[in-house]
Amino acid sequence: MSDYQATNAASSGVVVDKKHIKQLSRRSDKPGLIWLAQWLGFLLATSYLIHSSQNTVWLIPAMFLHGIFLTVPAYSLSHECAHGTAFKNRTINEVLFWISSFIYFEEPYHRRYAHTRHHTYTWINGKDAQMPFETPMDFKGWLLEVSGLGLFFYELKVFFENATGRFSDITREHTPESELPKLQRGAIIFLSAYATLIALAIAGYKWPLLYLIIPRILGGPVMLLFTLIQHVEMQENQVNILNSTRSFTTNWLARFLYMNMNNHVEHHLYPMVPFHQLPQLNESIKDQLYEPDPGFFRTNLEVLSVVIRRSLGKSTKAATIRQDPSMINS
Amino acid sequence: MSEWHRVCGTDEIDEEDVIQFNHGDKVYAVYNTEKGFFATDGICTHEHQELADGIVIGTVIECPLHQGRFEITDGCALSAPVCIDLKTYPVKVENNNVFIEL
Repeated sequence: MSDYQATNAASSGVVVDKKHIKQLSRRSDKPGLIWLAQWLGFLLATSYLIHSSQNTVWLIPAMFLHGIFLTVPAYSLSHECAHGTAFKNRTINEVLFWISSFIYFEEPYHRRYAHTRHHTYTWINGKDAQMPFETPMDFKGWLLEVSGLGLFFYELKVFFENATGRFSDITREHTPESELPKLQRGAIIFLSAYATLIALAIAGYKWPLLYLIIPRILGGPVMLLFTLIQHVEMQENQVNILNSTRSFTTNWLARFLYMNMNNHVEHHLYPMVPFHQLPQLNESIKDQLYEPDPGFFRTNLEVLSVVIRRSLGKSTKAATIRQDPSMINS
Repeated sequence: MSEWHRVCGTDEIDEEDVIQFNHGDKVYAVYNTEKGFFATDGICTHEHQELADGIVIGTVIECPLHQGRFEITDGCALSAPVCIDLKTYPVKVENNNVFIEL
């Protein structure tokens, strides 16, 4: 028998008819392909804005807008493909996994194994491989996280560790020994591709900077505001997903960019349910869940308020969003 | 000495689905696929998770915990995070009953 309890529906006391979950988990290519076509449509439109605004004051706003539409969906698609739930067709899933992970800035094998660990030990200190910031978070930690600098330097370190075969302890814990050469090969391929992009930019080609590098940097903070509120201020070191994870309501555009991952509690309870079925999963289990927090902007503003007050030594009680009592210093 | 054990009636496993069969202290997964009935070990080789809670896609079983995939017909581990094959067991159908040889 196992000596651990994975963090999921079973560990959280959430019960759904097995046949219903299997029905919701059925794979299909159609929703993913429609989403992909819409994403490419948005990218074409924002790329045109960049093209049209060159040599004007609108260039930076256009690159910021393009960066949001490039970066947030790239993160979302990489995550969905890491689970293998984006498409029924495995080849489509894996090709898009590599492309979206390239934009997100994480080597795909490492991403899949680290995320596996995140689901087994969600928000458990020392075991969850995707707890990217110190908790409780203060304003300095928030700036490091939301600016993208924290993620950039962490992933860069992982890239060089894996490319040189000097795997960290946590990587060795979540990756079988036989798979480590794949991580090394993937890291070398990605670092070579990033170096090529930078070399092209230095050689005078504008497109890597205009359409990829600068927009990725500018869009990074928006992506990180989405990922920040998945678990921040929630309970650590226990197995109940309802206490460690946050869902929030949001508008149609955010749901599109984030591939419905605002239903984050639902995703952690049943990770085999594809993104397009998460609203239906929510309908099925909402009477067993806490109310979702009120909106992407409001949840983020309250988190920001909490971390600023924590840095100032003031009360850290949030106004309305869910917050573990251990995070509150009144 | 191996023996045949009755698992269930053929109509007790939906098409493209899997059920769990416990025998002694071991857990098995018995599948109804487009290519017929098959049986494998019932616990994922990656982390402790019963495969009968997973989904069958053609002749592939996907673990519900981390979405690792195995080919049902030969137990082959197909994709990360699984990399150790599942053991498979002979299955036969007689008089609308599914049997596993253990």
